[in-house]
Amino acid sequence: MSRIRALLVLALCVLAPQLFLSRSSSAQGIPQNIPRKELLILENPEGTIKNAGWFNIWAINAGSQSNGLQQAALDTLWYIDPESGLDGVWDNSLAADKPQYNADFTEMTAKLRKGIFWSDGVEFTADDVISTVMTQIKNPGMRFSAVLASNVASVDALDPYTVVFKLKKPNSRFHANFTVRWNAIWIMPKHVFEKVADPSKFDFNKPVSLGAYVLNSYDPDGKWYIWQLRDDWQRTTLARFGKPGPKYLAYVDPGPPDKRVIAQLNHELDVIHDIAPEGMFALAKQSKSTVAWFKGFPYGHPDPTLPAVIFNDQNEMFKNRDVRWALALLIDIKAVAMAAYRGAATISAIGVPPTGTHPATYHQPMEEWLKGFEIDTGKRTIKPYDPTVGKQIADLLRPSMGEQIPSDPKEIARAFGMGWWKPDPRVAQELLERAGYSRRNGAWLMPDGKPFTIRVMVEGDLRPVMTRAGTMIVQQWKQAGIDAKIDVAQGTLPTRRAAGDFDTFIGWSVETWGGHQDLSYFMDSWHSQFVAEPGKPQPARNWQRWASPALDKIIEQTRSVGFDDPKSIELGKDYVKLAVQEMPTIPLMAYNVFTAMDQTYWTGYPTSENPYTDPVPNWGNSRAMFVKLKPAN
Amino acid sequence: MSGYLAYIAKRLLQFVLVVFIGINLAYVITHATPIDPVEQSISAVTSFGNTAPEAIEQMRISLRELYGLEGSALQQYLLFWKRILRADFGPSMSAFPTPVATLIARALPWTTGLLVVSTVVAWVLGNWLGGLAGYYQKSRGLKLLGVIAMGLHPIPYYILALLLLIVFGFLWPVLPISGGSAMNLPQAWTWAFAASVLQHATLPALSLILIGVGSWFLGMRSLVSNVVTEDYVIYAELAGVDSRRVLSSYVMRNALVPQVTGLAISLGGIFNGAVITEKVFGYPGVGSLLVDAVYAGDYGLVLGVTTISIIGVSIGVLVIDLLYPLLDPRVKVS
Repeated sequence: MSRIRALLVLALCVLAPQLFLSRSSSAQGIPQNIPRKELLILENPEGTIKNAGWFNIWAINAGSQSNGLQQAALDTLWYIDPESGLDGVWDNSLAADKPQYNADFTEMTAKLRKGIFWSDGVEFTADDVISTVMTQIKNPGMRFSAVLASNVASVDALDPYTVVFKLKKPNSRFHANFTVRWNAIWIMPKHVFEKVADPSKFDFNKPVSLGAYVLNSYDPDGKWYIWQLRDDWQRTTLARFGKPGPKYLAYVDPGPPDKRVIAQLNHELDVIHDIAPEGMFALAKQSKSTVAWFKGFPYGHPDPTLPAVIFNDQNEMFKNRDVRWALALLIDIKAVAMAAYRGAATISAIGVPPTGTHPATYHQPMEEWLKGFEIDTGKRTIKPYDPTVGKQIADLLRPSMGEQIPSDPKEIARAFGMGWWKPDPRVAQELLERAGYSRRNGAWLMPDGKPFTIRVMVEGDLRPVMTRAGTMIVQQWKQAGIDAKIDVAQGTLPTRRAAGDFDTFIGWSVETWGGHQDLSYFMDSWHSQFVAEPGKPQPARNWQRWASPALDKIIEQTRSVGFDDPKSIELGKDYVKLAVQEMPTIPLMAYNVFTAMDQTYWTGYPTSENPYTDPVPNWGNSRAMFVKLKPAN
Repeated sequence: MSGYLAYIAKRLLQFVLVVFIGINLAYVITHATPIDPVEQSISAVTSFGNTAPEAIEQMRISLRELYGLEGSALQQYLLFWKRILRADFGPSMSAFPTPVATLIARALPWTTGLLVVSTVVAWVLGNWLGGLAGYYQKSRGLKLLGVIAMGLHPIPYYILALLLLIVFGFLWPVLPISGGSAMNLPQAWTWAFAASVLQHATLPALSLILIGVGSWFLGMRSLVSNVVTEDYVIYAELAGVDSRRVLSSYVMRNALVPQVTGLAISLGGIFNGAVITEKVFGYPGVGSLLVDAVYAGDYGLVLGVTTISIIGVSIGVLVIDLLYPLLDPRVKVS
């Protein structure tokens, strides 16, 4: 037995130095040999990149995009900021001016900036733009091949700084392809790709940058990427706004949400991309140095994305508008907001995200119309809109969250949204009955006598907030006598969504610029010309497969007016009214992203008080943050 | 000798059959998944970014060609076996055009390094201590170890891993909580890199060893408790054979046979990776690769990992089958 004790002591002796050895490097998640005060550490939400050494972003899904590549190393003609922008929402980046179209939108001219250089010293010119277009058209398997091939008849340089695109058909929004909203068609270095036999199979490692940073090093196992400020950063477009603060950027995979919280509490992760509301609340409570978009509750940044109950409108049971409206009136949005975001949600009754410039352009001006909007059940007429729902959510939260909950009506509307539909089971019943549905023994039956069964598809733990919202809606519909079931699709959701293999799902088919009035970013894809036959794959984004001649008319009119034309706002409002009347999807709330930012090493992050950009670090637009960040004292 | 050769031939035939059936099953299951890799790729492209619907239809056609999804089911099946026989799993669809073999080769050393060491350490420690506890049943120290093992064994792995993370990553932050090595440290044969790998492997290995030791300990203790009551052990003790020799040659050797089988299966299974360990500790390896491939509908990568795993487990079992006669004379006689 003494030998056993001796061996146990020996084992302890072997293990103990291991612990003490590691204690010397308490900065466990910090890159070696880089001063922390020069380094900004951000989360790459793509996680571990299995093909870490791949930097050819023009190949489809071959490597990472948001590992710093699109934020720090690449550039394109224009950016639209989802918030207010560094110098307005519109930014002429590689372009010297806004796009110029001819009268019938069959030709677009882009004037380019002079004095912009690739990181290997070659000047950026029109040849790079032409190469970006032609290389992808000639190689059909590349990321933007299809969109370029279907639009571009020819592209030519009038001089090294002027490019003319001749289009195959009129397209007043062609420039949107080269305008960053999260991403866009990034400009490719001609002098690199022209030497490559097959551009779709070229890894572009080491990447040549057009942005202000170059690749310093990366993990072959895909856990981290480090980018370094270019010595000649003045020769990049970002230099217009000053010298970027951080000399180094590290985009890392910090792991599951609990580890992200630990990493930020240890000051080893400056920017968390997103965490569950509970993680955000924990950080707000435990870390004095953490800030979020809102100073207090609800913290998260409302992305210009609109989660909704998306019906499969080709499904017989949802073809009648009365049924869709009845289901909307059986939802208590307050309970959904509490379940999904613990109340930290920004609701929207209309089909436009309540973020960026949209509240001022759409939500506020349409408030009177919404208040007056009526539903006729055949037995009576009601006004379903309740403009006080946002305030009601704030009132619900105030007892537990105290002073964090604003009391100024404008602030409440900004944080929690404005109004939504009053739950009204009696009206819902009348609408369902008018649609031929009947209730027997407390359960609803469809006109053919079969039970009214609805599967609500959610992604499960891959997207917990949406899953919680779906679960609450299922519960509410069940209480009303509908045989609603949750349908956890996990990773099969994209395939099933495209195939139309769902009754309803919680997701989004509305995404907008956020910082610009134009709704064609998503609306154009809702034209009935793109609605697939049942059983055939549906192109993004009209997942609800809704075809409406009235909407087609609005879309066609929008196509004929310019991007900045004020008429597009009126057309946008027409879409909102039509979507309210028809309820092809039930809009719920903005996709709030809980981006948490640690001020231990850096200050000047974007917030609702200083909204120069979206803080969510996987957006290409987040490069604006680099020039605003200053070292903390 | 000829009997042993016949035994080997029979086992080899079984091995080939198991591998063939296993790989075919994996092929059928992966192809029956409702996930379409083309739709997953399109979803990833269009989740962000403005892509016109008509362009998406063209993209769909291009991707089907690019991923080699054209052709009949039989043609695809034959192509699959042609590739397998050349140890070529084709390109990964979720990391196109990188070959599946390259992705697995990159992840496998991390997985094998972590899991071989932790499995063997847990096996040796668990069996050794379990054997002692079963033999020296009155030892208070070993009784205490038994209580600890019984306490550790039922704890869900995820909870234990999280506890270790919180203790050593937050409350007393002395160990790295993520990755396989320190950031910005070149992966080279240097002491600095080796030390960093050791440091980063400590928490995941500790979590696996703590759970593993408990399991092996309890199994071995109950096996030894039975063996010590056998006549030959009592006779040896009465005959005055040294107790250490009784323990090692009479008790442990006989009790070890089922434990060795368990070890072989565990070692074969390491090619599956340790999904939860890799996820919780952000450790690179085959497990995460497999899960990501399932979500992406990347048949090639799923088949690559499962094929290696099937072969790994089968080889483990084969080796044990071949070694059994040497370990246990009763098998040799039969």
